[in-house]
Amino acid sequence: MSREAIGGSAWTRRGLAAMGIFGLVFLTVPLVIVIPMSFSSARALTFPPPSLSLRWYETFFGDPRWMEAMWTSTFVAAISSVAALILGGLAAYGLRRGTFKGRDWAEGNFMAPLIVPTIIVAIALYLALAKVGLLGSLLGLVVAHTLLNVPLVMMVLGVAIREFDQRIEQVAWSLGASWGYTMRKVVLPNLAPSVFAAWIFAFIGSFDEVIVTSFIAGKYETVPKKMFNELVLEVNPTITAVATLLIAFTVLALAAVAFVLGRAGKLKETVV
Amino acid sequence: MSDIRLEGVTKRYGTFAAADQVDLSVTQGEFVTILGPSGSGKTTLLSLIAGLNRPTSGRIFIGGRDVTNATAQERNIGLVFQSYALFPHMTVLENVLFPLGVRKIGGAEADRLARDALKLVRLDGLEARRPSQLSGGQQQRVALARAVVFKPDILLLDEPLGALDRKLREELQVELKQLQRTLGVTTLLVTHDQEEALSLSDRIMVLDKGRTQQVAAPAEAYLKPANRFVAEFLGIANFVDLPDGRNGVVRPERVRFTAEGQGRPARVVEAIYLGQMVRYHLALDGNQSVVAAVPFLGTAHAPGERVSVSWESADVWPVT
Repeated sequence: MSREAIGGSAWTRRGLAAMGIFGLVFLTVPLVIVIPMSFSSARALTFPPPSLSLRWYETFFGDPRWMEAMWTSTFVAAISSVAALILGGLAAYGLRRGTFKGRDWAEGNFMAPLIVPTIIVAIALYLALAKVGLLGSLLGLVVAHTLLNVPLVMMVLGVAIREFDQRIEQVAWSLGASWGYTMRKVVLPNLAPSVFAAWIFAFIGSFDEVIVTSFIAGKYETVPKKMFNELVLEVNPTITAVATLLIAFTVLALAAVAFVLGRAGKLKETVV
Repeated sequence: MSDIRLEGVTKRYGTFAAADQVDLSVTQGEFVTILGPSGSGKTTLLSLIAGLNRPTSGRIFIGGRDVTNATAQERNIGLVFQSYALFPHMTVLENVLFPLGVRKIGGAEADRLARDALKLVRLDGLEARRPSQLSGGQQQRVALARAVVFKPDILLLDEPLGALDRKLREELQVELKQLQRTLGVTTLLVTHDQEEALSLSDRIMVLDKGRTQQVAAPAEAYLKPANRFVAEFLGIANFVDLPDGRNGVVRPERVRFTAEGQGRPARVVEAIYLGQMVRYHLALDGNQSVVAAVPFLGTAHAPGERVSVSWESADVWPVT
């Protein structure tokens, strides 16, 4: 294929490249600034840092309130991501394989938390959780995060299920395997990379969540909620250390997803 | 004794009938093909028999047992799809062991049965390969071995050779027929390929728009088609007027060239060389066209040439 065919004229291509680079810079500059700032020895947020130190990491790890927020975030993310994985996975399977009436409505309902503005979901959850007495409880937080992450799981697994030939399942049934046995021995082993990816996305989704959490968490502090509150109260370089840790965690998690999906992709290439 | 019996099987989607009052009786060890164009309902019928779908009305019997409401798991059917549908994460041997594992057959016996099945489809030595490391023909053989290893009551084949190239397809047709004879398993094949249907089956069921058009042995269906649809779907059909005003069908190989003045005058429109045969598209006087197929013996008529053709009245089968 000629290069013209891909991007039009030379000027169009250059313009597109410039816009792409600008976008990339715009997105990465905050990260590039935050990371060195977290290793700063200064008492306030200054850039560039006057000299390097680990004091803000020490402050973070030495502060029991930060550690408690970390624990809360991890706990909520761990439980809600697994719950979202199970519920979203079953929903995705039912929607992809089922032929029942009202399927599109059901799918729309499941996907709603992703489409409806988060603030509206937050208010709805606030009212709903208050009604059942779960407002400000850890369980309420887990329920809310599960609900928010189900659409993510459904998107990732929905694609994977659609790509997995249904006839393979039908053959397994005809060979005498029950639905559950087919699921465990045939479907899940083949969808494992996507299941892992969906779980990571759900985990990060919960760990990052701040809007809904601010509304419903009550006395519980999660890491992002505490970061926001700290910023409001005083500008403290500790949050740059937290931000750097979160960036590192996210990059590692996404790299793991890319690695697992990449390996699965290679596997698929040989199948076709 | 009939091994598969369909009684008035109907499957409706809204007002559309994918299968409409279909009756069929397949005897023990018989090889029957359901033949029809795409959208004729043949795959619907197969999925109803396999238990992947439920009929709107009618009854399905396998081995004398009413399985109309039985699940796919309860039917003891060997199923082979065009897409092979092998388990991609398992080796060839593990694929074939799968139905045995489900039936709690394990250890040395399962191993022996699986290896025997693989030997039957001439894949011994490839047990440790994964499906992705096999050719299409080999994958389909694995699917066959997996479908027969547990001695199913019946074998259902959904366009099993459709994804293979012509030469391989013909090879596998022979193997499939031999395998079916060796095992003596009652087999139902679904295809749109009339050649496959004619060459493999003891009987053919021609299906169109969800309705049975004819159930007959291949030669009978070919020479004595029940209606115009069957005549046209199975091979090439020349429709000619009969003295009584009805229509009749003559097959191309029954059309003969005759000496000038003895038959009906015609003009050669196209001569297609097919190796052992030449197929002529002829325009008869009076705006009628006829296809003739004659053995190729070194020379052929050229397009534009004037010829005379005729056929025996016994070779004309009346159709409606």
